[in-house]
Amino acid sequence: MNALKTPPPHLEACGISKRFGSVQALEDVSINVQPGSFQALLGENGAGKSTIVKCLMGFYHADSGEIRINGTPTRIASPQAARRLGLGMVFQHFTLIPSMTVAENLILARPNLPFVIDWKSETRQLADFLKQAPFQVDPHSRVSTLSAGQKQKVEILKELYLETRLLILDEPTSVLTRDEADEVLGFIHRLVKKGELSALLITHKFREVMAYCDEVTVLRRGRFVGGGKTASLDVSGMAEMMMGEARVRNEAVGTRSPAGRSVLRIEGLRARGDNGLEVLHGIDLTVRAGEIVGIAGVSGNGQRELVEVIAGQRGATGGRISVNDEDHRPTRAMLRNHKFCTLPEEPLKNAAVARMTVAENMAFGVFDQPPFQRAGFLLDRKAIARLGRDLIAKFSVHPPSPDAPIGELSGGNVQRAILARELSSGQVSVLVAANPVFGLDFKAVDFIHERLLQTRNQGVAVLLLSEDLDELLELADRVLVMSGGMIVHETTPEKADPAAIGRQMAGHHS
Amino acid sequence: MKRGEAILVPLGAMIAGLLVFGLFCAALGLNPLAVYASIYKAGFGSWYSWQNTLVRASPLLLCGLCTAIPARAGMIVIGNEGAVVAGGLGAATVGLATLSLPPVLSLTIMALSAMVCGGIWIAFGAALQHYRGVSAVISGLLLNYLAVALMNQLIEGPLRDPSSFNSPASYPLTPDHRLAYFAGTHIHHGLIFGAVACVLAWFLIDRTTFGFAMKIAGGNVRAARLAGLPVGRLVVIAGFLGGACAGLAGMIEVAAVHGRANESLNAGYGYSGILVAFLARQNPLVIVLVSLLTGGLLASGGVLQREHDLPDATIAVLQGILFLFILLSDTLYGRLPFFRSRTPEPKPHAIAA
Amino acid sequence: MQSQPETLGLWGIAVALAGGAMRGSIPYMFVSLGECLTEKSGKINLGMEVILLMGAVTAFGVSDVTGSPWLGVLAAALVGMTLGALHAWLTQQPSVNDVAAGIAMIIFGSGLAFFFGKRFVAPMAPQLPLIDLGSWSSAGAIRSALRISPLFFIGIALAFALHWIFTRTSWGLKVRAAGDDPQAARALGINVNRVRFIAITIGGALAAIGGAHLTLYFPGIWSEGISGGQGLMAVALVIFAQWSPRRCLAAALLFGGAQALGPSLQSLGVNGYYHLFNASPYLLTLGVMIATCTPHRRLAGMPGALGRK
Repeated sequence: MNALKTPPPHLEACGISKRFGSVQALEDVSINVQPGSFQALLGENGAGKSTIVKCLMGFYHADSGEIRINGTPTRIASPQAARRLGLGMVFQHFTLIPSMTVAENLILARPNLPFVIDWKSETRQLADFLKQAPFQVDPHSRVSTLSAGQKQKVEILKELYLETRLLILDEPTSVLTRDEADEVLGFIHRLVKKGELSALLITHKFREVMAYCDEVTVLRRGRFVGGGKTASLDVSGMAEMMMGEARVRNEAVGTRSPAGRSVLRIEGLRARGDNGLEVLHGIDLTVRAGEIVGIAGVSGNGQRELVEVIAGQRGATGGRISVNDEDHRPTRAMLRNHKFCTLPEEPLKNAAVARMTVAENMAFGVFDQPPFQRAGFLLDRKAIARLGRDLIAKFSVHPPSPDAPIGELSGGNVQRAILARELSSGQVSVLVAANPVFGLDFKAVDFIHERLLQTRNQGVAVLLLSEDLDELLELADRVLVMSGGMIVHETTPEKADPAAIGRQMAGHHS
Repeated sequence: MKRGEAILVPLGAMIAGLLVFGLFCAALGLNPLAVYASIYKAGFGSWYSWQNTLVRASPLLLCGLCTAIPARAGMIVIGNEGAVVAGGLGAATVGLATLSLPPVLSLTIMALSAMVCGGIWIAFGAALQHYRGVSAVISGLLLNYLAVALMNQLIEGPLRDPSSFNSPASYPLTPDHRLAYFAGTHIHHGLIFGAVACVLAWFLIDRTTFGFAMKIAGGNVRAARLAGLPVGRLVVIAGFLGGACAGLAGMIEVAAVHGRANESLNAGYGYSGILVAFLARQNPLVIVLVSLLTGGLLASGGVLQREHDLPDATIAVLQGILFLFILLSDTLYGRLPFFRSRTPEPKPHAIAA
Repeated sequence: MQSQPETLGLWGIAVALAGGAMRGSIPYMFVSLGECLTEKSGKINLGMEVILLMGAVTAFGVSDVTGSPWLGVLAAALVGMTLGALHAWLTQQPSVNDVAAGIAMIIFGSGLAFFFGKRFVAPMAPQLPLIDLGSWSSAGAIRSALRISPLFFIGIALAFALHWIFTRTSWGLKVRAAGDDPQAARALGINVNRVRFIAITIGGALAAIGGAHLTLYFPGIWSEGISGGQGLMAVALVIFAQWSPRRCLAAALLFGGAQALGPSLQSLGVNGYYHLFNASPYLLTLGVMIATCTPHRRLAGMPGALGRK
């Protein structure tokens, strides 16, 4: 790592604007990363954070504005060009090839790789590099066998191996536990302090900004709305800049009657994952009428598979699901008898047919019942259209056209439409919801949270799975922690200690 | 999808395909216009050629449905040829065994057994894909070869008519046990089967709750499971219905055209049916129209050979070119400026990312 | 296969079967290696069957016209490249999926092959020279059973070469990256479309060489049914071989053996179910597919991007 002798570049982006079709993604945004500083770029989903760093990295080209490296105006034509300038990026999603080893991944990332790879000398060089690297990873282990935290470390190792001097991190901790996040960010922080690296961290977590960053730039809807030294700012000030207006929750929905008898019961549930290995090792839980039970956990610990088993999208290898002490399987008759509703994550992928209309999608649960079915086999399309218009009005789905393919709606409106379908099919007594607000804007988040609370207050048993611990602490009556395919911890929001929950999520059960 | 787009895009693809075929002919030193004229004349130029076209359209209608119905349940079926052969063999076997029964009864039993044979043939592939993850495309093509092997075994073995020297064939059906012709034409009643099947298929898909359930399963299996639909059963039934149509086509070939089972069962109607279904965008009513067009093309094979010294595979080349263009035209939907929908477009993913 | 003299014992049958496996495996070998390369890059080419056909007809025609069978092989490879490139281009269009493109290629390619095939009425084109492995034996039948096409050895070398390329060259790593996680590969600066285009094109060339074997080896007569589904079976064989070039080799020998079964039994005098025995490779393929595939999980060795748009 002799190249570490050269100091990190001074990067300035001035007045960057970028438009995608009719959407102004960025308007006149400037960023200044001094050599040896740890900058944060803060903003909600869709604020333009990713867009501006992709302009810096040469993935996009700005419509107007200028990028200066060490004071010289520079056009960054491609990611390769950015790399030559010492710029590197760690993405939200891993850029490691799962079927390859760590060594192959590091070698593959190298520019100007010769056609025939001299593995002997490459392995030697790699060993030398790894010797002085801060994390130890077996270079011969296959990436698909690593944990999320290890993968993120390999991503950072890869950047160091490529001699990156200015590292852009796009929400690098979104799949990590709190301890793993601290380890990764702490390490980068030390490199920055030593003057060997500059870093630009994209995040929406205030904690990370306050703990590790020197300076912050806040974006909202593609515009610069504030920033400065983190020492001179506080969390509430940043939150206000980021969100624009203070969020007001409708308090009326917060009142509830005490939880009643147990409705949904899952006992010893086991299932295999996509790779054929068991991912659910016997899940036990109970949800009573009128309570929200939250399941917290880092993604990839079996939550997705649990919802899939409940929704009938994955077979169980053992265990039992029951509603009111009757066996439950996801057939139409049982779903109807048990008044069982599921709101899976990514509704367009899991709960809707993109090319069918909004009204048709809303009829999935009831189309084979009168008045939608006539004479035992005929479909009444007028009745479906009526249902669509009705629900669209009730749940304010936009645009209000029942005949539009649901795939053309925005994410928030698809979520509304599916929520409308699930909550409207007669009475509900069980609702399972997975990451229901993932990727939505505040308005949609509040709407859906309110509906969930309302539903609970009507006496429904609600099981809520979320990767956002704050969401669970805000909504749930009890919180279970899932790790490694098991429920490892139970607490209530009042008694919850976020640090303890974080340790449980990471699999340190003590 | 806008209606105009749904008509103009495939039409444009067909015209482009015909133009490229014209270039192909020109490259061979022929006058493309003369070739087009021959095709038109042979397919649609006279009442006589219309009759030829209609005779070929009947199995095409049914073979198109064999791909179109399962497509609604999300299954790409290309084992049509095998189902035609299986249906034809079933019909011939049963037909020869029931020569003593009254013709109407015998023909009914033939039709039913052909439908069962063809239906099981395709349903097997559908079940393999759904329950075992075996690609229906690969199993379908393999089953085509197996059907042909089975046919050869039967018509050279147990069913063989000793009087068929050059090309092996089964014993013939007696004339009164064959499907009748419309008076004064050589169009057989099989055409009615095809037309009725298309209307029934449209009704099933568009107007019944079963069709609706099939559409959900075909559109998104995960959403269908979430809704508690029996996806496997839907897929297998759709496969069976499609296969039954192709099987019926085999029965028509046996009972109306050849009067016996022979190698002509394997004449490529199954493969043309795939083209028909894709051209019609899997819509049973449009299949009626497309089958007429394709039937006309098939009917012109002989004329091209006589008038332009082109091998009969020329029509296969034209079908191939048309298929390529239909496939390519799929990329045009939603991209033609005059069909842009007025509802706000979904935001480009890049912004949220 | 040649008619065997009656003096042949069981040992002779075994040699005939082994020889048949070696001969019969050649098309499977080339097509499966071509498909292996294609699928490693993340795309499926179902049109291998017609690439085999087009390879066969091209090799026949060029060998017949020029008198040089090796020129025939080269021409077949070029035609295979062209068809591979067409498939690659088709599958890279938005909203065109691999399977539909494969079906289009099957219909288009078989039309073309039949069209051009009609022009070649010559009974036999000049054949590839054979390598004699059976010179140790005095029995003429064994000698003729062990006269092996040089393509057999080229195929074996290719399998090892492909393995070397996948593990020891930067291009091989890029192909694997493109096939396993195209998004990550793009982030690494790999031009996924170009890598795939090249892989699919070369894959087509390999498959077409397999086709050349069909017409440049005994009996060497062009007929429309000459490929007999071998291209298709080779596609299934790649799944069985878990996308490993060296296992493709073993699987190709197995399938070649299954194909030699019918003729070998016929030479033993078992004639009754001739057509059904000839169908044994199809049954074997179907059986292998049913045994190896599962809807519940990803298959071992399967490139991550396969079957996803």
